[in-house]
Amino acid sequence: MNELHELAHLVEQGQTQRVATLTQQLLDKGVGSPTILNEGLIAGMTVVGEKMRGGEMYLPEVLQAASAMHASLNILKPHLIKAGAKPVSKILMGTVKGDMHDIGKNLVGIMLQGAGFEIVDLGLNVSPQKFIEAINTHGPSIVGMSAMLTTTMLNMKTTIEAIAAAGLRTKVKVIVGGAPVSQKFSDEIGADGYARDAVLAVDKVKQLLGLAA
Amino acid sequence: MNKRLEQALTCEGSDRVPFLPAIYEHKAWFVGETPSRVCRDVGLFTTAVFAEYERVQPDALTVGIDVYNVEAEAVGCRVTYYGGDDTSIPAIAPEDAVFQGSEDVASLRMPDPRRDGRMPLTLEVARNVMKVLGREVPIRGAVSGPFSMAAHLVGPEHLFMLTVTHPHLVKDLIAFSAEVIKRYGRAFIDLGCSVVIFDSQASPELLSPQMYRDIVLAPTQGVVRYFQQCGVPHVPLIIGGNTTKILDSYLETEANNILCDAKADAGQFLEKCSKARRAFRRNLDSADFLQTTPEELHRHTLKSLEESQGYAGFILGTGVVPYGTPLAQLTAIREATREYQRG
Repeated sequence: MNELHELAHLVEQGQTQRVATLTQQLLDKGVGSPTILNEGLIAGMTVVGEKMRGGEMYLPEVLQAASAMHASLNILKPHLIKAGAKPVSKILMGTVKGDMHDIGKNLVGIMLQGAGFEIVDLGLNVSPQKFIEAINTHGPSIVGMSAMLTTTMLNMKTTIEAIAAAGLRTKVKVIVGGAPVSQKFSDEIGADGYARDAVLAVDKVKQLLGLAA
Repeated sequence: MNKRLEQALTCEGSDRVPFLPAIYEHKAWFVGETPSRVCRDVGLFTTAVFAEYERVQPDALTVGIDVYNVEAEAVGCRVTYYGGDDTSIPAIAPEDAVFQGSEDVASLRMPDPRRDGRMPLTLEVARNVMKVLGREVPIRGAVSGPFSMAAHLVGPEHLFMLTVTHPHLVKDLIAFSAEVIKRYGRAFIDLGCSVVIFDSQASPELLSPQMYRDIVLAPTQGVVRYFQQCGVPHVPLIIGGNTTKILDSYLETEANNILCDAKADAGQFLEKCSKARRAFRRNLDSADFLQTTPEELHRHTLKSLEESQGYAGFILGTGVVPYGTPLAQLTAIREATREYQRG
């Protein structure tokens, strides 16, 4: 099997140690870090996304694959910087104020990272003010908000309003998601996009940025 | 005593479809307080339950506000409470888990419901409510399910990773959690209450149906059977999300009054629950409650009731009612259940 295909397969299987070993071997052989990223990691995570969408993989297996992906990324990072490889775009993510759930957000972050995006993760219980400060600090193209509860999802609206009041609304696209969230709700609160699951979130982000699917 | 729910549970048929809105943190709204304050004050909590009953008139009451936190807190997890006017729901952040994964599960403290955390407080609320309403309406104590409790003990994402890397450790954690839950639930039952088990972390939105069967089903059955042996013949089990994929396992838990959430396939629930003579609660999607009109909710409720095809074991419920939901929304739903005539 072509070694890059093998790397993609090992990522998909969540074989963290073997992924790390093979990543280093490929670098030692002179394979470029962007090639390893695209044909190894992104390819592997694309399969993970498809399997998740098809109900063949669930959260535990996806987390395993993510762990393998991160193991490789940690090795690749300095090489990617040296090669001048840039992430596709920068995305800011957080679970809104009052909400302590992060699995959904983390899953979206994993899939976006697997698609080549840089993620700035603000964590849980993020106030509108903290979102605003982070937009000013990091200059993302997309702000992703997650909420797991019907009570906390209303803070997505509050946050969008705060971003607008801070004069930043035209600088970012906002995407929302989470168990109680819907397209209807997203439209009502003035978000730019909604995704039902982590795989669709990647598609939606690419669409919002005018990138090929 | 309002027998409507019991009649649904035995599929006997009642005068109308029972109405069970999921009111937890919203209880605090009835007394003009925050969930953080109410869940830590016996007087406020008791008054809130009474107010809920008076104003909403549900066919059963649940003693619980932040229903997933009490057991884990009693073991040692830190709950984040909110001060001032903040109406956020108390929660356990993943970093406040009490078990890291490398130690022995036996090192975890087994809490005493009479002494530890907020267990004594919620039991006292249950006692107060039973004294006044116990002969009038079913009162249920809220307990966690074993998988959801284990998720708090070690952190949800960590638990999901461990199901692959350390499955034996996960089984031990779930077994420990089941023991805690049995003791807490028993304390409610000794007061004359029933219990209701909440285990939404085990939803197939997160955990595969095979994993549910392999690691969650047997311990859950064990908890259900224990409560049955303690004198609760019908033990509700609430797993949120689209649980259609685990419906067979869900029925195998032997719980009665299982949840068909808004996104789940009501047709399949109707077919399988009818065959098994089991009651199920069909939820209206509460995500709309703060945006929609009472008239629209009334219409949605009637549509949902029509889907029941007159099944005697059908219960009308809601997703978790958001804090601050206007009473008119819940009244509209309740009135629709009163208008609906089973075919």
